[in-house]
Amino acid sequence: MTYYLQLLLNGMVAGSVYAMFAVGLTMVYGVFRFINFAHGELIAWGAYLVLLFYLEPCSLPLYAAVVPALLVTVLIGLAQDRFVYKPLRHSSHITLLIASIGLSYLLRNAIRLIWGSDLMTYGLGLTRGISFAGLSITWIQIAMVGAALVFLGFLYILLNFTILGKSLRAVSDNMDLADIMGISMKRIGLTVWLLASVFAGTGGILLALDTNLEPMMGLTNLIKAFAAVLLGGAGNVWGALLGGLFIGIAENVGVAFFSPGYKDFISFAVIILMLLFRPRGIFGIAGGVR
Amino acid sequence: MDYLLHIMILVAIYSIFAISLNLEMGYTGLYNFGHVAFFGIGAYASALLSLQGMPVWFSMVCAMMIAGGLGALIAVPALRLTGDYFGIATLVFAEMVRLFFLNERGLTRGPMGLPGIPRPSFIAEGVHGLPMYLVFCVILTILVFLVIRRVTTGPFGRALKVVREDEYVAQALGKNAFVFKIKAVTVGSVLAGLAGAQWAHYVSYISPGDFTLNETILVLLCVVLGGRGTNWGPVLGACAIVFFGEAVRFLPIPPDFGRFVAPIQGMVYGLILVVMMLKRPEGILPEYRSR
Amino acid sequence: MAVATAASAGDAVVGAVTPLTGKLAVYGEGFQKAMNLALDEVNAEGGINGMPMKIVFEDNNSTSKGSVSAIQKLITIDKLPVIFGPAASSNFLAVCPIAQQNKTILIGAESAAADITKCGSYVFRVFPSDLLQGIGVAELAKSLGYKEVVLTYINNDWGVGLADVFKENFKKEGGKILDEFAHEEGKTDYRSEILRIKRINPKAIVNLTYIKEGATLLRQAYEANMSTQWLMGSASKSPKLVELAGGAAEGVIGTYPTFSQETPEYKHYKDAWDKKYPGGKTPIFGEYNYDMVKLTAKALKAAKSMSADDIREALIAESQGFVGVTGDKSFDANGDCGATYGRWTVKDGKIVDYK
Repeated sequence: MTYYLQLLLNGMVAGSVYAMFAVGLTMVYGVFRFINFAHGELIAWGAYLVLLFYLEPCSLPLYAAVVPALLVTVLIGLAQDRFVYKPLRHSSHITLLIASIGLSYLLRNAIRLIWGSDLMTYGLGLTRGISFAGLSITWIQIAMVGAALVFLGFLYILLNFTILGKSLRAVSDNMDLADIMGISMKRIGLTVWLLASVFAGTGGILLALDTNLEPMMGLTNLIKAFAAVLLGGAGNVWGALLGGLFIGIAENVGVAFFSPGYKDFISFAVIILMLLFRPRGIFGIAGGVR
Repeated sequence: MDYLLHIMILVAIYSIFAISLNLEMGYTGLYNFGHVAFFGIGAYASALLSLQGMPVWFSMVCAMMIAGGLGALIAVPALRLTGDYFGIATLVFAEMVRLFFLNERGLTRGPMGLPGIPRPSFIAEGVHGLPMYLVFCVILTILVFLVIRRVTTGPFGRALKVVREDEYVAQALGKNAFVFKIKAVTVGSVLAGLAGAQWAHYVSYISPGDFTLNETILVLLCVVLGGRGTNWGPVLGACAIVFFGEAVRFLPIPPDFGRFVAPIQGMVYGLILVVMMLKRPEGILPEYRSR
Repeated sequence: MAVATAASAGDAVVGAVTPLTGKLAVYGEGFQKAMNLALDEVNAEGGINGMPMKIVFEDNNSTSKGSVSAIQKLITIDKLPVIFGPAASSNFLAVCPIAQQNKTILIGAESAAADITKCGSYVFRVFPSDLLQGIGVAELAKSLGYKEVVLTYINNDWGVGLADVFKENFKKEGGKILDEFAHEEGKTDYRSEILRIKRINPKAIVNLTYIKEGATLLRQAYEANMSTQWLMGSASKSPKLVELAGGAAEGVIGTYPTFSQETPEYKHYKDAWDKKYPGGKTPIFGEYNYDMVKLTAKALKAAKSMSADDIREALIAESQGFVGVTGDKSFDANGDCGATYGRWTVKDGKIVDYK
């Protein structure tokens, strides 16, 4: 029994980070109406940038290195929009998709160029997990869940209690109408990219703390984030959150029943099934940042 | 000289691969990002059959049929999806196929791959066989090119373009858009299977790692760069991509910088995709619009 | 089309397909350095009967496709009679048929897959086949008294092949495998796999994997509060394993094709290395690459001509009793060489031999 509980626990930890990725991805979809394939690279760059500031020559302590890393990640996110997505704003979905695929390939190989293809770590010491009730969890995993709670809580407050948040929801509901009502598209766009980048980058850093960094980490997590987004309905923030949790749990618990080699298969299967049978998501709300 | 033959064989094979994708993407507007799956299925099917002792030509024909059959099968549910969702679904499908190749060790030998794939019996093995293999590939490429050109400049091709531009208009004109799409995907998959089989018999060793997102991006580049909706476009794109990939081998790069070559190549590919979308989404060769 | 012969009259040229880019680049650099070290010595001693020896390096991007392209170039353009093959077994297996068909000699210094034995008469390796290591690991488990183990191995050519051989031998000795599964290369999270093992709570785990994956597994098992004896293979034997896994690697025992570090040949190699590349550690498999070049040079000197067939005869003859840094390199009928398997362990954060 503890076996399944432990799997569930691991799943919730993984799921909380996937939720952060999915929320950013779905918000971009909600406002701009396309899937940013390069979202994964924000995850990877967030993690790798910490290395840049943590190692020589900057040699900042780890927690201090996070700040400039996230700042630069935000800049990358904004640059993505400014140079590639904004000019293509009115092009077909496909053009945007291909451009974002190209962008993700570019950014991923840039990581390979700068840091090499090998696995890297932050080099923290080894710790035994904390044991309780037959289960075990590391403090980093606790931090992952904690950070997710804080960030998502903040998002909830933003969306429901601030003018900015409400404007965001209005824009994703109906961009033209919101424009007529005087909501600044520019500010909204900025906010969305800021949030998406920060969530992605932080999640990436947490993942890297928990495991390692490697150049494909952006792509592999993008797939999971996308599966979560589809589950919740594209554009639905809370759906994406639940979707992320679901994917995390399904992946971890699923291993009890079939070969670990097919673990990634879960996200793929979810994506295919959702696309085929329920593209609007389990919660059936199409579009709109709710 | 022999190396030039090697490059030309690659160009010929990739041309067929790109033409097949162009049929789906350029003409019919179906963004099949999982096209490499059919390339892989063709390769594995032909390799496995010929390693069992079947004559090569027979294996290749079977491989084409299997690829085409699977293509039609997948198309039926997948074509319910629109534009970019279809693209993502096919991309995910390709990854699932790759996982299948990787994990089903009993069938495909998994990561260990299939070595020793034979050449067609009328072509010698090794370097001696290169000119003949090139002739073989070029003949096939020319055949495919002519057939596709015939098909696309005729009423079928025009119908595909209408389906691409506006499905409702197509249906108003009495064309069953769905059936046309299925046909396009089936033909595209058959040809991708052919290209895959040709490739398998050429390199004599395949493994799941040969059919990844990387290859999808390469063939996408061929079509995007060369020009969608034209016939010479994908061939031009294939030439450009293969030459760029191999030419790098001859640049005098000091050994210390060797490790930068592949990432830089990758960055260039990504950049090309982005720039093409920004500046010239229709590709280098413009589509001929009959006015 | 001429059968492979040496390029220009002035030099004795051989080719090498090396992972200078791609995921094995970090090792490829070391291989190249070791080969160049041997090359310098050969040329300092007068080269090949007066001709300087040269190695043409071609990058394979650590892939099979790249290896095929590289060897095509070396065979068709440079027309080289001898080629030092790529590192990873799958890459090596991809080019074997090509070398064999073109009657070009292919020598491997790092590829362990058992299948390579069947590659053909022109294929040799100075690195022992896994057939032997599988037996070694099974014996290790038996000698330590473990009759029941969990087996996990990396899901690629090397891991799968080695695992198969281990299973066969372990079961033959009456051992029982409680659970077995492959783990994917390059993953950062093996917690599900760890949990599966923890549930069975075995006394020993046979983990046949590479350095990064091994380190991640060890770490995450430690974090999951698991205590067990890890038995590993040669691919994990590296200081980097200890660096990545820290205290979690303590007490791991493994096998590796061993060669004594006390021999004069080894001391000579180490001294020469330190002189040419001061401050650097000798790279993994560097000794094998060094021996490969030295043995090839010997064969080239003794060969009747620069044609592949003559070199092949000379290679077989010269290898008999040739004792390199890595021991006796006599080629058997299949072009394989023998090996003794020693044991290593991690003690106080260092890799030492296990007694």
